[in-house]
Amino acid sequence: MAYALVALGFVLALNAAGAVNFAHGDLVVLGGAVAVFAGLWTGLPGPLLLPFVALVLGAVGILAARVAIQPLAGRPPEATFVATIALAAIIEQGLTVGMGAAPRTAPSIAGSGAIDLGGVTLGRQPLAIVVVGIVLIAAVWFLLERTQTGRRMRAVSSDSHMARAVGIPAGRYVMLSLALAGALAGIAGALLGHQFLVAPTQGAGHMLKAYIAVAVGGWGSVPGAVLGALGIGFFETFVAAAIGDAWATAALYVAVLLMLVLRPQGLFGEPVGRRA
Amino acid sequence: MSVPVLQLGELSVAGGETVALLGGNGAGKTTLIETILGFRAGPVTLFGRDVSSLSVEARVRLGVGYVPERRRVFAGLTVRENLEAASFLPAADRRRRVEEMLGLFPMLGERPAARAWLLSGGQQQMLALARALMNRPRLLLLDEPTLGLAPVVVADLLGRLGAMAAAGTAILLAEQRAGLALGVAHRGIVLSRGRIVRVGSARELARDPALADLMAGA
Amino acid sequence: MRALGFFWFAVLLLLPVLALLLLPPFGQRMVILIGIYALMGIGYQLVFGYLGGLNLAQGALFGVGAYAVALMAPALGTLALPLAPVVAALLAATVAVPMLRLQSHYFALSTLALAALIDLVAVHAEGLTGGANGLAGFGGALPGGSLLLVLVWLCVVTATLLQAHLFHSRFGPPARLLREAPLVAATLGIDGGRWRVVAFVAGAALAGLAGAFSATLSGVVSPDVTGFPVMILCLTSVVLGGSRHPMGALLGATLAVCLPELLRDLQGAWLLAYAVATLVVVRWAPEGMASAIDRWRGGTVPVAAVPSVPGPLDPIGGSRRLVLANVSKHFGGVAALSDVSFEIAQGEVVGLVGPNGSGKTTLLNVVSGLERADGGSISLDERRLDRLPAHAIARAGVGRTFQTLALPDDTRGADIVRAVASGAAFLLLDEPAAGATDRERAELAVLIGGLREAGRGVLIVDHDMELLTRVCDRLVCLDRGAVIARGTPGAVRADPRVRASFLGLEGVAA
Repeated sequence: MAYALVALGFVLALNAAGAVNFAHGDLVVLGGAVAVFAGLWTGLPGPLLLPFVALVLGAVGILAARVAIQPLAGRPPEATFVATIALAAIIEQGLTVGMGAAPRTAPSIAGSGAIDLGGVTLGRQPLAIVVVGIVLIAAVWFLLERTQTGRRMRAVSSDSHMARAVGIPAGRYVMLSLALAGALAGIAGALLGHQFLVAPTQGAGHMLKAYIAVAVGGWGSVPGAVLGALGIGFFETFVAAAIGDAWATAALYVAVLLMLVLRPQGLFGEPVGRRA
Repeated sequence: MSVPVLQLGELSVAGGETVALLGGNGAGKTTLIETILGFRAGPVTLFGRDVSSLSVEARVRLGVGYVPERRRVFAGLTVRENLEAASFLPAADRRRRVEEMLGLFPMLGERPAARAWLLSGGQQQMLALARALMNRPRLLLLDEPTLGLAPVVVADLLGRLGAMAAAGTAILLAEQRAGLALGVAHRGIVLSRGRIVRVGSARELARDPALADLMAGA
Repeated sequence: MRALGFFWFAVLLLLPVLALLLLPPFGQRMVILIGIYALMGIGYQLVFGYLGGLNLAQGALFGVGAYAVALMAPALGTLALPLAPVVAALLAATVAVPMLRLQSHYFALSTLALAALIDLVAVHAEGLTGGANGLAGFGGALPGGSLLLVLVWLCVVTATLLQAHLFHSRFGPPARLLREAPLVAATLGIDGGRWRVVAFVAGAALAGLAGAFSATLSGVVSPDVTGFPVMILCLTSVVLGGSRHPMGALLGATLAVCLPELLRDLQGAWLLAYAVATLVVVRWAPEGMASAIDRWRGGTVPVAAVPSVPGPLDPIGGSRRLVLANVSKHFGGVAALSDVSFEIAQGEVVGLVGPNGSGKTTLLNVVSGLERADGGSISLDERRLDRLPAHAIARAGVGRTFQTLALPDDTRGADIVRAVASGAAFLLLDEPAAGATDRERAELAVLIGGLREAGRGVLIVDHDMELLTRVCDRLVCLDRGAVIARGTPGAVRADPRVRASFLGLEGVAA
């Protein structure tokens, strides 16, 4: 479920900025780190930290685009490719220097332990993650589909030139999308940081999963990205139960490679052209 | 003699006037419209004030409606959402205005929840026009709106433009199909290779035997 | 050597020679490491630098080479060294063809998935790779010390010189076209797919070789060599050095190896500094350090030769007519082209006119192979063209220009010259007079006249009726995808149906 938040943020940033942000995975880790340190310094409980993490990472999301994506808009795609990868390395190394390479634990959202629900035992933290995830995804859905702001964000993503020509201040809405993307990444990091710890090297893994989710779900499709992430989650859980974690991940990568070869537009995308 | 709603060099359009902007492909019609909107730099006066330093969004909000070449509706949004996104009214007024629009454009009123990319060319053209009208613009800019449309739709479109001009809207209609445009316009301006090569009343131009040559780029 | 210049050639040779003569073993180790990273970087430049492909598998292929040596050396001794790059190249070759057809962000993802898969195997296939602990003790028969330095640098020098020669003379201009204007490249007969596959496999071989040397140097391999940090190091060092400069990889490698030593006090922060430097370079000095050094030295940065207007052309033999028969194309329910038939003979100039949306550009796309016709045939004499890919049609002798210039420093007409230079017998010109001044139009008329004299067949799409009347033998007029008139320019212009279509008058019978 947390991966769905990561993928959602990734696709929103993709649509708004028009480019893949390879640093998105590291924003997730950064979110976890902020949760760790904010928790240590202020002693606030988990749930209260989330809005703070969201704000900080929202700002970072905008900054990242300002630094590594928007100034390179007119250049060939390798430029943003390299710039965002460099940014990812910067964040990762910055975190390593700042908090050391040893993994830290983020404060939990719901306390540890488990709850009994009708005979089934569920961990409190995983349950809380699912709940928060559902709430956030529903909130984003509501924002995009039912509010004027969301409509305008989607119009700008669809055709920013035309959006301006109907009077919509496109720049503002792009910033909003990027802030939202960052906030979602940060919250995901804070949520994952308790169970899976926070370590600077996790960024690449998150990035790869989000990238796969968006490609599987149809490039640029928001519901596709969420479903893609959930699909990855289910795939990993069930396949891992059968053949073990490592092989499940390997199977995932092989499946992705096959999919790209056979049906690159993913499950929900429109057919893409081939290169000349 | 009223103050022109739009002034750009020799080009001017007054309220209630429809001016046809003619020229073949590459003659410069779209460039001119982009200059009026603000995508390109140029000395533009709108509604009596110099807007050269205003952004595109700001100019549009002064009261300009734009129907671009090839429609350019927001593909992933529904018909209703396309209209709503373009409106600057508060929520309740906005919804009322959308309903009004859907009523004025029965083609759209039939399927307000359809995603825009599913619509036919004619329906998209109507959507683009309705979207441009959401904020009751005083100046309407249209770039080749009849391209690829069935004659019935074209007639409907041109009829509406006539009604709007009668109600006081200033209209600049850029078209390759001179015959159509001159049929609804008061005046015409012919561009060739970025320069104005002919001006006159619509009737004069329509009867000019050299017009076909001018349009073909000779 | 000419492509490299004396200065850089000296640097290239002096570095290993001085290291051999003057440096202690520790220093020689560093120089070996520089050579290793340079090899990987040069391999990376092939796909990423020269062809613009977003490749993220280079690091993993480096690791494949390292593991290959570790596994083969106990049995094969030094033979493992040349075999390791073969292993990497074979792996790359098996996945290359399907992957390289993908568009950029899908290609990047596929290389990322491949790299992650390789890394996963390295960590978990304990029986094969020793898992997280890796493999050791295989280095017995392998060279070390000075011998290794000589071997590595022989490869580096060869690779650098070869790369400089290939990409800065012969392959430079086509690679640039492929990178910046792939459609134009296809219409000039450049088979982008084949280039990318060859570059990818060659790059993989170099990565594998570098990995093999790396394993030889350190005597151990572990999943560190297949992990993402290696890829990041490769990418950042190539970008910093200059992704399209022959010495870019070497310069970047030097920085990558020396910087940790210089910044030793700052512990791990050197990689941070490196990443920041990369970002700065991408933003403000995208050509990289090597080009910046060239500029500082006062040398001119070599610009791709812009073709000038050709002198008298040699007459061309071969095909004599380009024939379109009943060509049709639909987009959804709309007929973009219906039943279009006409032909062009050698030495003829035919103009194609019609209002916006009449299908002229679609017709050019279909003839040049960028789009497929739904019906009818296109032939060059007896040979059918309509099922061939664009680059094959170009090779058969049909060239084409586009409305916009392919490269930023092209002059007007450069694309026509390029098409002619590619040996085209028939030329399809797409709005060559768009936005031209009167003088440019006159020059264009002369150029087209020259083409006719030299026996080329020309099809010109344009809106400039006056120019077309001057240069064309015949005109064909399209309206809504169908031919409505053909004949001499004068006759077509006077044709009432043509005049009506240009004025958009309704109700005029076709």
